[in-house]
Amino acid sequence: MRVLLDHVTASRQSWSLEADGIFTPGIHLVSGDVGSGKSTLALMIAGLRSPESGTVRREEIHSTMLSFQFPEFHVTGLSVSEECTSWGLEPVTAIRQAGIDVVPETPALSLSRGELKRLHLACVFSQDYDLLVLDEPFSSLDCPGKEQVCRQISGRSGGITVIFTHEQCIFPAIDHIWEIVGGSLVECGTVPDALLQWQHAPPLVRRLVGAGTIPESITPEGLREAACRTRG
Amino acid sequence: MITIDALRYWHLVIDTLTLPPGITSVIGPNGSGKSTFLKLCSGIAEPESGTVFVDDQTPRLTGIGYVNEFPDRNILFSTVKDELASPLRFRFTPCRETDCTVHECAETLGIGHLLDRRMQDLSGGEKVIVAFAAACISRPRVLVLDECDSHLDADRCAWLEGALRASGAVYVIRCTQQMETAATGNFLLYLEKGRLLHAGTPAEVFSRLSDTSFYPLSWRCRA
Repeated sequence: MRVLLDHVTASRQSWSLEADGIFTPGIHLVSGDVGSGKSTLALMIAGLRSPESGTVRREEIHSTMLSFQFPEFHVTGLSVSEECTSWGLEPVTAIRQAGIDVVPETPALSLSRGELKRLHLACVFSQDYDLLVLDEPFSSLDCPGKEQVCRQISGRSGGITVIFTHEQCIFPAIDHIWEIVGGSLVECGTVPDALLQWQHAPPLVRRLVGAGTIPESITPEGLREAACRTRG
Repeated sequence: MITIDALRYWHLVIDTLTLPPGITSVIGPNGSGKSTFLKLCSGIAEPESGTVFVDDQTPRLTGIGYVNEFPDRNILFSTVKDELASPLRFRFTPCRETDCTVHECAETLGIGHLLDRRMQDLSGGEKVIVAFAAACISRPRVLVLDECDSHLDADRCAWLEGALRASGAVYVIRCTQQMETAATGNFLLYLEKGRLLHAGTPAEVFSRLSDTSFYPLSWRCRA
């Protein structure tokens, strides 16, 4: 199972993106500046947008899910109940799994953005996919919500998970790091070695690496452990 | 000072609160009432009972810039240029002055290259930056930002901090889910289930949250 990007390009006016690489089973993190093309790349990997040139091949992938960065884009039901049902879920169970305090009759778009994100992600994680592409899965979530998403990502039974995010602190156990630099997708490598190359590393990771302490992982526990090593 | 007394609105209850000038961050679990609180401070919603005053005036009589938590709900016009110009045009600012201010603001905030782009073609982060610029362009006394940083990278978050301090706003009230950002403000509020549980400096409030995941990770790593 793998996603192969072969000389993939996209462009618009003065902006362009080139991507080459192979995404294998595991958890991949893709970072990049605002407007660098992360969401465009997410769409192409998930097959919802065709590249201008080059090819995206999804080999031995039988099910794909893309979670948009804006949870409101996914809403098809008027109420929370209708929204859950549209995913084939029993509303009360889905609401409980989302950890939100609402009744099923609540209009879906009257939820706060964080509540809507929690509900949407509970629906996404109710099923298993060979390829799961998550565009900004942590935005709008509170800290316990981010930790819950990390557990859900880590608890996937296999497959390829690609996370596009600006998150700075709370990550699952990432296997591979990529970033978009100067209009090109760059593979930084496998964690922990990738942390030495990662230009978009969060400030805390940068600080630890700068002090000569390479975290084994970028989970909160991994970063805390590295910080303890720094202090001796 | 921003003063709040006997506030009741839907499930939000705040008996008394005074916010000093500077940057106030608002944190708390999803659904705790943070966005509702911001809407009341910005005059978008009015209290069912109780009062909110900004230096003895109601929010609706105060110059306020507001950025919605849903990036697409900030958008009124199709191009970035028109979006930025809208707060000035709504005040009947002369056309030439509006054009000058739009270009000056865009250059200052580093988004001059976006002026001719269509709003719907912008990335999530770019939409937020344009919404922030539109909120600042008429130099409001109060800036209210609902998770403005949720689509920004680390460098842009640092840039936003500088832009906030240079905005000229006397009061900045912002909701954030980045605890490292909340730690940099002057004042911090923690809401839970519609109640204000903690208010004070970031050091005071986070000391009461030290056994929760809201405590900043960088603070844990320096402890």
